[in-house]
Amino acid sequence: MKDIFKFSEQPKFENPSLIVGWQADAGNLGPKVIEYLSRKIKAKSFCEIKPADFYSFGGVAVDNDTAQFPECRFYYGETNDLLVFKGDEPQFEQYKFLNAFLDLAEHHCKTKELYTVNGTISSIAHTGPRRILAVFNQQEFQNEFRDLGLEDMNWKGPPAISSYLLWIAKRRGIPGVSLWTEVPFYLAACDDFQAIKTTFSFLARKFDVGSAFEELDDQIREQNAKMAQLREEEPSIDEYIGVLERGGSLVGDEQMELTREVNEFLEKTDL
Amino acid sequence: MGIELYKEPKLENSIMFCGWPGIGNIGITAIDTLRGLLRAEEFAEIEAWDFFAPRKVLIEKGLLKDLQFPSSKFYFKRIKDQDLIFFVGEQQPSEGRTQYAVGQKAYEMANLVLDVAERFDCRRVYTSGAAVAQIHHTSKSKVWAVPNSKSLIEEVKQYENTILMSTTGGGKGQGFISGLNGLLLGVAKKRGLEAICVMGEIPYYLQTAPWPYPKGSRSVLELLTKILGIDLDLSRVDELAKTVEKNIEQILEALYSAEGVPPEVADEIERLRDSEQTELGPITEEEQKKIMEHIDELFDQGDQKNERYL
Repeated sequence: MKDIFKFSEQPKFENPSLIVGWQADAGNLGPKVIEYLSRKIKAKSFCEIKPADFYSFGGVAVDNDTAQFPECRFYYGETNDLLVFKGDEPQFEQYKFLNAFLDLAEHHCKTKELYTVNGTISSIAHTGPRRILAVFNQQEFQNEFRDLGLEDMNWKGPPAISSYLLWIAKRRGIPGVSLWTEVPFYLAACDDFQAIKTTFSFLARKFDVGSAFEELDDQIREQNAKMAQLREEEPSIDEYIGVLERGGSLVGDEQMELTREVNEFLEKTDL
Repeated sequence: MGIELYKEPKLENSIMFCGWPGIGNIGITAIDTLRGLLRAEEFAEIEAWDFFAPRKVLIEKGLLKDLQFPSSKFYFKRIKDQDLIFFVGEQQPSEGRTQYAVGQKAYEMANLVLDVAERFDCRRVYTSGAAVAQIHHTSKSKVWAVPNSKSLIEEVKQYENTILMSTTGGGKGQGFISGLNGLLLGVAKKRGLEAICVMGEIPYYLQTAPWPYPKGSRSVLELLTKILGIDLDLSRVDELAKTVEKNIEQILEALYSAEGVPPEVADEIERLRDSEQTELGPITEEEQKKIMEHIDELFDQGDQKNERYL
């Protein structure tokens, strides 16, 4: 464990909850929710996972004209009852990575429960509400969340890193839940502020950290205004979104066109 | 990193047969068919998570029910006072993008397989795979055999329809066995354990085809049942072989008529029909490259970028 982690300090914890967000998420949900949460709890980094065993170092990825480097950090809040983790998914040795992660969470931090926040691409319109679909690793833990507005997830297919983490946590007896908030497919590549707010608000209520975030509300208003402008300027886009608003679905080409137009427009108006 | 034992069967002087996916799935089809026909009983498994990423999650009503990994299982069976162990792996551990085992993980898995072999008094290991050869798909596949000790060569020479590396095209007894089929031979050699890799031939123009090549598996099965002195009903493999051969014929005919392959490439493939390997004129590297380019295009299934992960 010593070889994998680099501690900047060693605070003491008593049964905190741990909230996990992965980079490169649909609607940029995971990183943004963790960012807002970290600001609310005045989070401070105390440990990072050394990247050497888990990522390819054949070069660096460039995103938004900037060289990136994989980073995995644990933070703690000022009241020590909430930890957050923000990290890049490991490219190699996922099992080793996730076990090390849980070793730290279980033995060093005495974590009582685990949350992962994720975006899931959905065929919904941005003007509608975002559901949060949930996956629990223990029935008893699921029972604690009844009546909190979460919906049950059903899925059979390739697993995401959050499901893998939840499965290993289950084997160790650590209760966990993955929250999958719906993101309209055409906002998957940008920030879906509404989905971010929905998730953040849920966690803020759950952990009593205060949900007010004017900045996020402003961003939602601004994004909605831009989308309304695009609909006004492009009748075909308005029609496609209208279909989704009425619960209909679009064919592949229509989905591609809508996604391309929305992304180009949001990118252009961000400048 | 370890082995989960469900049972501890008392085996003596056992023989182990190992199969993994590979070209034409020749090895795994042969070994798994033999295991199935003999109704061998599962008794152990290599813990998958150290070697493989999970491939499927099952979530029902908001509860994570299961995470599925490629399996690597051991089975046993006693026939005619002979104890047999089967190892069937659904995937080869790999640290790269190849489907063949490479790197530290491959070495670790080879050692785990042989740990089980030795624990259950194994005296001989057979691995099975494919031999890419200049044959036509209508021809009967020969079996190429590579032992890990010179002392086994005379025995191998007695096997029917079987050839050593030195009697194939190159004639120098040299070559390379990719993945665990080869690695296991080497690791067994290091441990002083006898091992032989038996590889069913597959036409080189089908080596990237996304379907199995049961003719190659059939030849391996014939050999293994002879070695064991047993008679098994291989009609299901025969049926599959017929179906695959028919499909290959149809695809090649369609390609020829649509001029999907250049005439000289079609000629080269047709020259192989019903020919003995030794009668063939050489196919140049250039011609082989040309054939493979067309076949690769044909079998390229594209990626699955839209696949969703949860």
